[in-house]
Amino acid sequence: MKIAVFIICILSSQLSVAQNKKSIVIHFYPSFHHQNIQLENTWYHLSANDSILFETFKCYISNISFYQNDSLVFKEKNSYHLLDASEVSTLQITIPLNASIAFNSLHFNIGIDSATNTAGALGGDMDPAKGMYWTWQSGYINLKLEGKSNLCTTHKHEFNFHLGGYMFPYCACQQVVLNTGETDDIAIEFPVDKFLEKIDLSKQNSMMIPGKEALELSKTIAGLVIIQKH
Amino acid sequence: MKKIAVICLLVAAIAFMSFRARKTSLHFNVPVGWPKPVYDFRKNPLDKDKIALGRMLFYDPVLSKDSTISCNSCHAQFSAFTHVDHSLSHGINGRIGNRNSPVLVNLAWGNSFMWDGAVNHLDVQALAPMSNPLEMDEDIAHVVYKLQVGNRYPQLFYIAFADSTITGEHILKALSQFMLTLVSADSKYDKVKRGEASFTDAEAKGYTLFQKNCSSCHTEPLFTNGEYENNGLMVDETLNDIGRMKITHHPVDSLKFKVPTLRNIQYSAPYMHDGRFKTLSQVLNNYIMGIQQSPTLNPILKKGIYITTEQKAELIAFLYTLSDTAFIHDPAFSYPKDKLLLSEGKYNP
Repeated sequence: MKIAVFIICILSSQLSVAQNKKSIVIHFYPSFHHQNIQLENTWYHLSANDSILFETFKCYISNISFYQNDSLVFKEKNSYHLLDASEVSTLQITIPLNASIAFNSLHFNIGIDSATNTAGALGGDMDPAKGMYWTWQSGYINLKLEGKSNLCTTHKHEFNFHLGGYMFPYCACQQVVLNTGETDDIAIEFPVDKFLEKIDLSKQNSMMIPGKEALELSKTIAGLVIIQKH
Repeated sequence: MKKIAVICLLVAAIAFMSFRARKTSLHFNVPVGWPKPVYDFRKNPLDKDKIALGRMLFYDPVLSKDSTISCNSCHAQFSAFTHVDHSLSHGINGRIGNRNSPVLVNLAWGNSFMWDGAVNHLDVQALAPMSNPLEMDEDIAHVVYKLQVGNRYPQLFYIAFADSTITGEHILKALSQFMLTLVSADSKYDKVKRGEASFTDAEAKGYTLFQKNCSSCHTEPLFTNGEYENNGLMVDETLNDIGRMKITHHPVDSLKFKVPTLRNIQYSAPYMHDGRFKTLSQVLNNYIMGIQQSPTLNPILKKGIYITTEQKAELIAFLYTLSDTAFIHDPAFSYPKDKLLLSEGKYNP
């Protein structure tokens, strides 16, 4: 009898906790001219003279935290998420939050911090089998953008941006801070078109190693991420 | 109702305790006088089933693209887990790599791996040869697939990790478990240090020479300081290997390579990052007469090493005391023939 009472108490306390939670949903949209990019089958154009096809968009989002003004109000534990445009479900992250927590800005990293890069074999989204880990040199690839364009005079007109690097002074992990206001539904846009406008695909179409250039490109992308306008 | 609940609780408790008992971590023995290992065993506690799984994976060519090359192919026990007589490591289809395969010894104390330190943790080391087109030319995700669809491994992963779903993380951690057990600490040198043996006169003189000329980089008891050094080798223009600078992009690291351990050096010829020297005599001759001056040359080598022919023999006599015959014959490290004779390495999708 005592056991039954104990179980009922536990269940009711859990129910009470659940009732005091809210879910914050963060949607990530890799976009071209504010439209979600479609992989493999859609050609995009920056100008009348170019055609661009996207084959891969993968990106690590980590260290998600919420702030009210300048004060940290919630930090997600074990906060590592792999976005993959080929798997729509990965583009949405749901964070359970106490209903009483108010916030007006969202902080997160694009990429993986240096300490985690030296932590050995990890699981889940961080499993090296996910294809986002360099093998000739240790370290996560923070962001992969691959495709084809007539602008590239490379093999099969391919472009490949594998941005990463964890060693000083070329740690490519970038923090993004966005003012969200009070909302349970946050839509974040990765404007890939804006990134391609900032580089010249005919000259810069491959980045596969950490270093100064990868760091600069990482900063460029992080600086373009915005809250999507409805 | 009450009785049933109590019985259920008792059964659950017994099951939990028996699992815990079966999964009690093995203790990693640190030889007396040795430093604390670098490897964080709390994140991957040693377990007999994981070690056994890692040993099977180490010897199974399923890790390579065409299932012809295993870790053992370039890291054979009889040569202290290196590729004896091969200056550069071999890969599938007879491909030749661009570096000499290092010994796999005392890896728990390694702070970085590969000749240029490209790999920062033992757990992720195996990814490098596995993916190198000149070596195994495989992809860890495909290895996961091959092991998962085969008959043998899901059960072994379940036994080791309580999960039959195979992951890259578990493959790598199992390989680490086996490699961590490759501790060599029972050479004559070790026995002398423990008071169980004595150096001969030549070995003792060689030890003195070693301490004077070599120990700043090949620091006891691991016989490496774990750092990167330019030891004055002439650049091989067919390889043009810049060493550590490839990783850091910094000119101060040009031509620097990881200082290798000297343990079991008698078994691990050829020597240097490109296997250019076939004998220890050639190695010492280079230190005596062949040092190339360059801005990043180790400062001690700038002054040169001057020893006589007789002293060279004494130094080699000492280096031979670092041979650990128990290690290279330890059945715990050998090919698991009882389990792997019919290799799933022959699987072809």
